[in-house]
Amino acid sequence: MDKTDPTRQTKTRTKKESLSREERQKQLEFQNEAVAHLNALYNYALHLTMNPSDAEDLVQETYLKAYRFFNSFERGTNCKAWLFKILKNNYINRFRKNSKEPGKVDYDLIKDFYHTIKDTRSDTSESENDYFHSLLHEEVYQALHSLPEEFREVIQLCDIEGFTYEEIANMVESPIGTVRSRLYRGRKLLRAQLEGYANKYGFNNNDQ
Amino acid sequence: MNCKKAGMLISASVDGELSPSEEQEFLLHLVECKECRIEFDDAKKTKMIIQEKIIQFKAPDALIVSIMQLSGFNTKEHEETLLYE
Repeated sequence: MDKTDPTRQTKTRTKKESLSREERQKQLEFQNEAVAHLNALYNYALHLTMNPSDAEDLVQETYLKAYRFFNSFERGTNCKAWLFKILKNNYINRFRKNSKEPGKVDYDLIKDFYHTIKDTRSDTSESENDYFHSLLHEEVYQALHSLPEEFREVIQLCDIEGFTYEEIANMVESPIGTVRSRLYRGRKLLRAQLEGYANKYGFNNNDQ
Repeated sequence: MNCKKAGMLISASVDGELSPSEEQEFLLHLVECKECRIEFDDAKKTKMIIQEKIIQFKAPDALIVSIMQLSGFNTKEHEETLLYE
């Protein structure tokens, strides 16, 4: 910020008592726009890192950055998509550098993840001792994680987070056509993985 | 429309991302092509399984509190970080 900026001078002078009006307005707007997506961001971070404390760090960092650059957020566009993009960039910078070989699925890690996280709060309403249910989840989760990352990512953003193709294209920095074909190919791969699962649990019988 | 083109539209149709004219053309193809119809149903089921079976986790209370503080400047630390960094 420019040193001679008059708002900054005011802010410095009155810092102890109150913030400038613009700053207050920014806070309010930020709370209305951004904080509403906290659960979705945490959920996404958790699926990316598979570690609750890493996920929290990632979300913290994302909100800090988002607040700092909130002025550059284009009003009227999807704030959730904007936050996801910041989170994803943070994730790449912080965690992906020292990650394991791409394409390798660590089933033990997934299992551990599911077992540590099973008892925490989730949006899915099910009885706490429903072990059978959590096993089902685990199977689907493993199938999803067996996909190459570029496919898994678009499926997560589309099916779990409900973003439009345009928003996804912007987030993964690829054309919409690429998003379309990744979803198509990713679902085909996933379908093959889940074939036995779908048969076993009746997803193939409920024809409409 | 041939199967190759229809194949590329399957996911977009499942997600409601086709334009009305594309959608109409695609559905016309489905009526006459059993294979594509099966693929379309499979894609729909796959999406449904993911939506139903992947657990959505909620943020822990402590995280919610700290984010609220962050944007409400309730702590001196955050004020410094955000304003002058």
